Amino acid sequence: MAGMALQGIKILEYSEMVAGPYCGKLFADLGADVIKIEPPEGDPARASGPFPQDKPHPEKSALFLYNNTSKRGVTLDLRATPGKELFSRLVQWADVLVDNHPVGFLAGMAFDDAALLKLNPRLIYTCITPYGRTGPRAGVKGDELTVSHAGGLGNLLPSRSRDISRAPVKPGGFAVAYHSAIAAAMVTMAALIGRGKKGKGRVIDVSMQEVVVGSIRPNVTGSRHQRSYWGRVPDRPPAMGRMQTSDGYLVLGAAEDHHFAALREVIGNPPWLADDRWLNMWWRTNHAPEIAPMLDTWMVKQQKEDIHQKLSKRGVPLGPVNSIKEVLENEQYAFRDYFKDVEHPQTGTLRYPGWPYMMTASPPRVTRPAPLLGQHNEEVARKELGYSEEDYRRLLKSGAFGKAKR
Amino acid sequence: MKDNGLPLEGIRVADFCWVWAGPFACMMLAMLGAEVIKVEGHRRTDITRHGVIWPQADPQPTAVPPNQGMSFNSVNMNKKSITLDLGKPEGAALAKKLATKCDIVVDNMRPGAMLRAGLGYEALRKLRPDIIVIASSSRGQTGPQRDYAGYATIHHAIGGAAYACGYPDDAPSTTSGDTDIMNATTAAFIVLAALYHRMQTGEGQFIDYSQCEGVTSLIGEMALGYQMTGRVQERMANKHPFYAPHHVYQCWGVDRWLALEVHSDGEFAALAKAIGKPELAGDRRFATMKARKRNEAALDRIIETWTRERDRDWMVNELNQAGVAVAPSRDWADLYADPHLRAREAFIRVQHPEIGPIDLVGVPWKMSD
Repeated sequence: MAGMALQGIKILEYSEMVAGPYCGKLFADLGADVIKIEPPEGDPARASGPFPQDKPHPEKSALFLYNNTSKRGVTLDLRATPGKELFSRLVQWADVLVDNHPVGFLAGMAFDDAALLKLNPRLIYTCITPYGRTGPRAGVKGDELTVSHAGGLGNLLPSRSRDISRAPVKPGGFAVAYHSAIAAAMVTMAALIGRGKKGKGRVIDVSMQEVVVGSIRPNVTGSRHQRSYWGRVPDRPPAMGRMQTSDGYLVLGAAEDHHFAALREVIGNPPWLADDRWLNMWWRTNHAPEIAPMLDTWMVKQQKEDIHQKLSKRGVPLGPVNSIKEVLENEQYAFRDYFKDVEHPQTGTLRYPGWPYMMTASPPRVTRPAPLLGQHNEEVARKELGYSEEDYRRLLKSGAFGKAKR
Repeated sequence: MKDNGLPLEGIRVADFCWVWAGPFACMMLAMLGAEVIKVEGHRRTDITRHGVIWPQADPQPTAVPPNQGMSFNSVNMNKKSITLDLGKPEGAALAKKLATKCDIVVDNMRPGAMLRAGLGYEALRKLRPDIIVIASSSRGQTGPQRDYAGYATIHHAIGGAAYACGYPDDAPSTTSGDTDIMNATTAAFIVLAALYHRMQTGEGQFIDYSQCEGVTSLIGEMALGYQMTGRVQERMANKHPFYAPHHVYQCWGVDRWLALEVHSDGEFAALAKAIGKPELAGDRRFATMKARKRNEAALDRIIETWTRERDRDWMVNELNQAGVAVAPSRDWADLYADPHLRAREAFIRVQHPEIGPIDLVGVPWKMSD
């Protein structure tokens, strides 16, 4: 088996739910040694689900299982001295600490930036918080719903809304947390590369709100400086956007002139498109509403996957709105072997999404399923931190791993 | 940043990209200190130069001069630019020479385009064995749909995320170009991981990136959830499977909205007090999370009766101070006016030689020296 890209990098992940854990997973699936710290009661993602047959179980939550592959897991009671001692040793062990607790949470446990960097001057300490660690809103609570609207993306959705009196909406799932995890992983990766030169650690402060603002940066600057379009009401794009077919929805992007020419042919050169001005992008941009009803009428008679194939083969950008079931059954994903079977002792084998990158020299893989709660307490204490069996028993008794632990 | 310097100083990147998904990946590397050289076809330049992708209102001209497209300026900061005629042998030779002087080559052309220009991975590797090449395309470089084209919203739809966005009783919604920005950031991450691998082993490689798959990797819980329950996660607008209240409420004024999410009984008590109805916390319809979720419609009516008569930003201040997670649903003007974003210098003032001063969005992180 080929070597993995991030072999030898040690990541300490003291995080919960999605933003911190997915950041850790990105490293872990590339071969980094990731140790996840959970409070004794477990990461709240363990209670989030979905669960098999809708029966909540801390080892069977889809959100937890997906975001914590390839990691080892320990439980720590950070409120008590023995837990703090273990945490200190882990900070010294690590190259990177990933933390998505609220601003000031670790500092409140006596681990502020100075203390962490004193323990380990080479440490890269990556924090992911709703609004960042500085500024007037640093201490304000936020999560997926509020941050997606705070950063402007929510205000644009739903796209092509038919009813302006309805509230704007967040993107689905945990889009903001996942995107923030990626930004954090990317800048952490850069810091790791740059650290080689002088060996000095850094603190990285990722703001989820700014991730959202950054994700719509062309809309934001375009609206300010060129009065380009902002809003969720029906738009007039050169591409027609979301459209309805006889069996679902698709997104059409016949943006360029040659795309639209191909579309016109596939429609059968109807009289309402006879004028060649329709083959000019700027004309279409300003006159699309005139042909929108005819296009809609034509599209609603098509079948989603059939027209996807037909127009794609002519070079027109478009794609079906797939449910996750349809993605799991998709021929292109299957050909590329995108989904990976992962066996877990409590849920059996499930098909997990893989990675959007195929690498010739150091491909990613799931090296182990998500850890059971406290599964690696003894292994990490003894193998990584060098505690003797006796010392490990002492720690266990002291409640360092939490009261009810093995 | 005197102390450590920027982390990617000394790394050189050839940027054969256009629109957003490729260029923004290279911009991230540039913002972190890499030298990025953007290569454009001399006849076919980056389309974002010529206009805004988002249409403008009449009678505003829809096309702008080639240096003034705001989406171009937003995702190409810190780069150098060269135009080449890749159709001429001399132009292609120059491009190849340039590419092999780089550590990293990034493209987001259709599969095969780089190959036809003589810039495929195998050709470059012969001249520079440790080169890292990443090709980011719509569906990936292999498979029956490898030649199909797409944009951000199309990838969002194919990947399964659009299906779960919007109102349950209305059409699914794609998001904006943010899928490109997300895929660009993921591509920058993986290219840096490959660079790390090269630093350890001396080995370069080729990375085949699929932007549709990039979307699916961010809905893993939906994929596992479908297998566990046999049900597809449907659209929930602003709702949550078990938290309540979790909604966007109408405020006083026109098209003004307040996003509010409560994740605990303590937060709900704080909310109830702040809206002058402390008794709600003890009301058996709302006292526990389960009860609130069951009686969510009634609860939303109570809260919206309060929000409709009040100013959005006033409520945001009051409720944030009370420890409740709320935020305005901000539009672009709200973002530029936000004192918090200003304090964090989230916008970068750039002196553009043709336009003058423009406020571009910076990077979403702060990094200590």
